[in-house]
Amino acid sequence: MGRRVNRRALTLVVVLAIALVPLTVLPAAMARTEAPNVTLRLWIMNNGPEPVRDTERIVAPFERQTGINVQVELVGWDVQFQRISNAALSGQAPDVTQAGTTQVPFFAMTRGFENVAKRVGEIGGRKAYAPGVWATSGMAGSSSVWGIPWFTEARTIYYRKDIYRRAGINPKTAFKDWASFKRTLTRLKRVSSFNGRPVAPFGQPGKTAWDLVHHIMPFVWGAGGSELAKNRRSSAITSPAAIQGVKYFADLIPSGVFLKSSLERNAPQVEEQFKGGRIATWIGGPWVLASAKRADDEAWVREARGNIGVAQMPVGPTGKFYTFVGGSNLMMFKSSRHKTEAWRLIKYLSRDDVQLQYARIMGMFPARLAPQRKQGKVDANQRAFYTAITHGRTYAPIPQWGPIENVYKTRFGNILDMAAGQGRNPYNRSTLVAELQAAAREANALLAQGG
Amino acid sequence: MVAKGLPVETPSRRLRAARAWRRNRFAYALVLPALLFMLAVHIAPTAAGIYVAFLDVNLFTFHLLFRAPWVGLENFRDILFESENPLRPGFIDAVRNTISYTAWTVGITLSAGLGIALLLNRQFPGRRVARTLMIAPWVVPSFVAALLWQFMWQSDTGIINRVLVDYLHLLDERPIWLLGENSIWAIIVPTIWRGLPFVILVFLAGLQAIPDELYEAAAIDGAGPWQRFRYITLPLLRPLIAIQLLFGVIYAAYQFSIPFVMLGSNPGPYADLLMTLIVRQAFTNQLIGYGAAISTLMMIAMLLWVAVWYRAFRRDLVTA
Repeated sequence: MGRRVNRRALTLVVVLAIALVPLTVLPAAMARTEAPNVTLRLWIMNNGPEPVRDTERIVAPFERQTGINVQVELVGWDVQFQRISNAALSGQAPDVTQAGTTQVPFFAMTRGFENVAKRVGEIGGRKAYAPGVWATSGMAGSSSVWGIPWFTEARTIYYRKDIYRRAGINPKTAFKDWASFKRTLTRLKRVSSFNGRPVAPFGQPGKTAWDLVHHIMPFVWGAGGSELAKNRRSSAITSPAAIQGVKYFADLIPSGVFLKSSLERNAPQVEEQFKGGRIATWIGGPWVLASAKRADDEAWVREARGNIGVAQMPVGPTGKFYTFVGGSNLMMFKSSRHKTEAWRLIKYLSRDDVQLQYARIMGMFPARLAPQRKQGKVDANQRAFYTAITHGRTYAPIPQWGPIENVYKTRFGNILDMAAGQGRNPYNRSTLVAELQAAAREANALLAQGG
Repeated sequence: MVAKGLPVETPSRRLRAARAWRRNRFAYALVLPALLFMLAVHIAPTAAGIYVAFLDVNLFTFHLLFRAPWVGLENFRDILFESENPLRPGFIDAVRNTISYTAWTVGITLSAGLGIALLLNRQFPGRRVARTLMIAPWVVPSFVAALLWQFMWQSDTGIINRVLVDYLHLLDERPIWLLGENSIWAIIVPTIWRGLPFVILVFLAGLQAIPDELYEAAAIDGAGPWQRFRYITLPLLRPLIAIQLLFGVIYAAYQFSIPFVMLGSNPGPYADLLMTLIVRQAFTNQLIGYGAAISTLMMIAMLLWVAVWYRAFRRDLVTA
């Protein structure tokens, strides 16, 4: 009897144990598998020499903490505009994408992105960013937030300290205003070669440069001009101040201080000319400082790597200096099936420490004020970029800006070609104005699309 | 056998069609997948592209795409006749440049290709090596070829100016090839370099198919080298010339990669081709209706070219 009871009890225990197994093991198994089931797709662009690997390193702690996988995918800058547009339109999209600051209003127009205005309080809201940077998160005249600023960059003047020393130029006064900048470049003509290499005073890419407008608009702003009228309904590129700014830049070519062959090259190729010691002065972004520290960047010649100076854009006739501030924002696709997780990723990438770490790897500046300040204290060159960002200006946050920028780029490129003596038309004020008038007509047609 | 005078019972049209269907249905079944594939990947997108040309697809209507406002022929009218349209001068420049680019590339590629094929068809030591070397550029992808030529054309460090100015002293100063009026030549030369091997290969195959007896008989009759070329080689190569001409013109008119890689999205008023203009206006400036209208005009121009070509070479194709 006792044996029978024991046997019965044993059977009962075994049955109960078997029945309990799923109840005890399954939740634990589910707890382990629930999070890894979520994989977020993040599109990034070529932000540095190894953009995917570097971004994976940055998101690795997030993956460990949350169990959410992040699949980082590279989309080249040359195709990103079209791919993001198509993804927004078709819904065949990743969860989050990087987008250029000036592209945000256009992408918002596609109606393929999530308005995150209600969530931004979780990352400190607009107060955590400089006003100019925050302005890139939405559209003019709207309170919607479409893109969270991720990293920032600004344009400054790079110069070779050793070549300037040889030419007897004091960098403290060399870039004070337009007149002194031109005098500096003219004086640099004395140093035709340095360490056996031919060197030109100044070089910038021409019409093939994607960022040509960023290098010319600071001179337009410095002269008191603007890219668009105040009401943003018409182009202001034919105003006397804008003409003065464009003409100042283009006049550098016939004055003999501008390396004409740099106009044939694209932006990375001219950057390499600076790194290779071919040009003494050049306008560029903060990533070049980071690249000088990378031993694997073989474009640098030793003396150029060790003699980089950074200065602000010269003060224009208005008595102020301006530069372009850009960068990239993070946008969440409306078609994302994991919006909560996607927002967690954006939130993580907006943390001060993560922003600082990522910006340092990429050679950009953080988008948020607190880490920006911290980065600005690293050394004199970083401080110069921090000052540039705080004085920087961006373009009108309207959907038409991208195409208008392209129209200006085309016409500015034509002006620089003329100034280099290439083409049927001679370079003078009237041919320059004719190109700007053509730019304004095209820009006005694009602005008229908005109704 | 049907008796004379009795009415002949001819099968009805429906019956004939049914018989033909039964006879050919296996062939139709074989063709059907290819037909469906063509409809899906070729005809439907083309039709969609033409349809978009009649819509006002721009920045603000982009999200509507096929539901964008119908504007009829307005896009075409703006491009062709509206003198106030700020985009029209750029279109006219692109048409002029495309015609010039096509004429030069096709003309030089065909004539130089024929000349080189005639040379390579002769017996000489090292002929095989010469043939291999001549065909080498063909294996270089267009993108790579354009990139290589972009470096070669650079005015200060490029090999072309080094040869012309430093080694041969043919020019006093270094021309800038990638800007201004020279830039059209900067894209014509690499296109010829890239296209020449295929033309040589085809002509060489054609020349080797011409029987030697024809030349021997002509020589006996007193025909000189020019007459043999004029009356034997050229007529027998006409079908090949026709085919090369057809594809050469279409390929050149639709050229995009070489100017884009070498000169960027804005090759400037002297080298902007229709394809670079379309891509820039439609996809960068988001004037998709405008871009689709130019594409449709281009397609019509190519159809007209095919019609003219067919009329000119119809007999050659039949005899071939």
